[in-house]
Amino acid sequence: MKNWWKATGLAAAGAMMLAGCSGTDGGSGSGGEDGETTLTAWAWNVNVGALEDAMALYQEENPDVKIEVEDIGRLDVYDKLSTGLAAGGVGLPDIVLVEDDRIGGYAQAFPDGFLNLSEKGFEDNADQFPSFKQDLATVNDSFYAMPFDAGPGGMFYRRSIFEEASVNPEDIETWDDFLEAGKKIKEATGVAAMPLDKFNDDPTFRMMLNQLGTYYFDENGNIDLTSPEAVMAMEKQMAFEEADLIKEVDGWNGTVSATIDGSVATIPFGAWYYGTIIDQAKDTSGDWGVFLLPAFEEGGNRASNLGGSSWMIPSGGDNEDAAYDFLEFFSTSPEAQVIAMEDYGLFPSLNAAYEEEVFTSEDEFFGGQKIWELFADEMADVETPYYTEDYALGLDEAIKAQADSFNGTDPAEALKAAAERLAERTDREINN
Amino acid sequence: MKKNKTMKKIMLYVALVIGTLVSLFPFYWAAIGATNTSGSMFTQPPTLLPGSMLMENIRNLNESIGIGRVMFNSLFTATVYTVLALFICTMAAYAFAKFNFKGRNTIFTIFLLSMMVPYHATIIPLFKMMAALNWLNTYQAIILPNLAYPFAIFLMRQNLLAFPTSLIEAARIDGAGEWKIFFRIVLPSMKPALAATAIFLFLYQWNSFLWPLVALSTTDMYTFPVALSTLFGLSRIDYGQVMAGVTIATIPIIIFFLLLQRQFISGMLGSAVK
Repeated sequence: MKNWWKATGLAAAGAMMLAGCSGTDGGSGSGGEDGETTLTAWAWNVNVGALEDAMALYQEENPDVKIEVEDIGRLDVYDKLSTGLAAGGVGLPDIVLVEDDRIGGYAQAFPDGFLNLSEKGFEDNADQFPSFKQDLATVNDSFYAMPFDAGPGGMFYRRSIFEEASVNPEDIETWDDFLEAGKKIKEATGVAAMPLDKFNDDPTFRMMLNQLGTYYFDENGNIDLTSPEAVMAMEKQMAFEEADLIKEVDGWNGTVSATIDGSVATIPFGAWYYGTIIDQAKDTSGDWGVFLLPAFEEGGNRASNLGGSSWMIPSGGDNEDAAYDFLEFFSTSPEAQVIAMEDYGLFPSLNAAYEEEVFTSEDEFFGGQKIWELFADEMADVETPYYTEDYALGLDEAIKAQADSFNGTDPAEALKAAAERLAERTDREINN
Repeated sequence: MKKNKTMKKIMLYVALVIGTLVSLFPFYWAAIGATNTSGSMFTQPPTLLPGSMLMENIRNLNESIGIGRVMFNSLFTATVYTVLALFICTMAAYAFAKFNFKGRNTIFTIFLLSMMVPYHATIIPLFKMMAALNWLNTYQAIILPNLAYPFAIFLMRQNLLAFPTSLIEAARIDGAGEWKIFFRIVLPSMKPALAATAIFLFLYQWNSFLWPLVALSTTDMYTFPVALSTLFGLSRIDYGQVMAGVTIATIPIIIFFLLLQRQFISGMLGSAVK
């Protein structure tokens, strides 16, 4: 008799405990007493600190605004955001960080889900940002995001490897120059020119496309994988493969591994890779340098971008105006942007920020090179990559085209097949 | 002949040792990673010996996620879930196994079929329900939705089927009430099955990621897996912290398993023999 009473008692106690402990209120922040406003935000990793520090700066003029930033994994932010939007806009924060390649997708899939910033007058700030960042934050001629960080492209290289092969990085102007340099380096040191996860990711191809002013899609949303530029980019990458200059790596960790153990001479990536190098390869201080991506022809465009993100404001929250006001301050304050850059390695896309001292300083880890100046000078020339809401499908097919090329298919053929599959999956037109 | 048998045994043990090493290596790798710097995860040859960074990694991890709080959240939700779910699932299983009522098999089949619905398909409706109840970011939001866990019901039912119905009938004739039969006669003989089911339920809730991620929105409510996922940024990941976190997160499972180990193994054997 006693035992089952005990058991039901336990269950009842458990149920009471449940009822008793409810957590703090989630969802969008609340206007508290005394006119105080607490904004809520979702962001990942280093962006959390950058946002908090910006708020501290903002509070000097606006002492009654606070922010609570929830640190959420990068891809997890999208799971939560999509769920909340699909459920009709419940449980969303006042501010959310979104990567540039997703902005279009979200704004198209949930047209009423985000605040139209143009209606609040964000247009007036537009020319403070590089043109490609403006384009990425715009959907159907309205701003839906405030530009934040960017990933201007560069070739991160190991000085000692270049010196051993007596190759001067300053002499490398075109991809063909780099191919010759790569061969020389391979012969002298046995080290490959660059790493690539051949069958799973295509960052180098994407940067090349961006350099050539094209992408998976063009500005009209048509599929552009069969363009002469795209074919040229893929063929160039294959030229490195044929000379045995690409080291196959396994995903992100493989790339970091190759970076640390010196089995590649360069790593073509966005400026944000700086943070990874100084964090993970501490013993190699002074041995690093950066040069811009080589051009496809002499005097050609060397500017490119890989990655970057912007702030969006989910609509319908109580604090839309407060969130707009704070984000406008953050996005256009050189001081706040420089803090994000110096303390968190987030490369700003605010033109005025490039005038600050850090952009002309020498970096010790990079052998005293003025790397930030190099990246900043590149920003104005970056072409807009047109991601569209079908970016994920485009990426999938482009990677397949790259894999087919590495498996021996002619790059032009592989890209054509990929474009056709992509047209099938997205109902989009193929150019040409 | 004898020699042949010894050979066979040696081969068997060699295979078992290799299997053990392969299964244990990820744990060892995580523990080693927890004691080294982040960069050492990537060196060639791999670092296989303990380093001296354990305390620093734990300190950094604590700064990043607040180990105590998330550990409490995870332990609390997993324990309450396990107790409640075990209670509910066992009662349901008992009904399915020992009571004859109309539509019993149909209902049971529907239950089993529901295991095939991918969890992701139910997340948005569930999220809406929780929002309507104003339960987002609460403990009950992550404990209640899966209390009737079909696999646990299935597992308990299969075990309960083997319980002699005549015993139950004899008890009824002797005048015992249904509750008394359930708690005093049936359950005591089900300890191995209960232990096995409890381990499954605990593991299920402990490892549960997507729903807690979506339902919880403040750092102080995060469970351990959700908190760990915040360590993954775009390009800056401190693997020392990650590995320290992963190692700490496995400790409660190991303790829970060791506590119920004896019952668990006999439970597995019990159902294997049938």
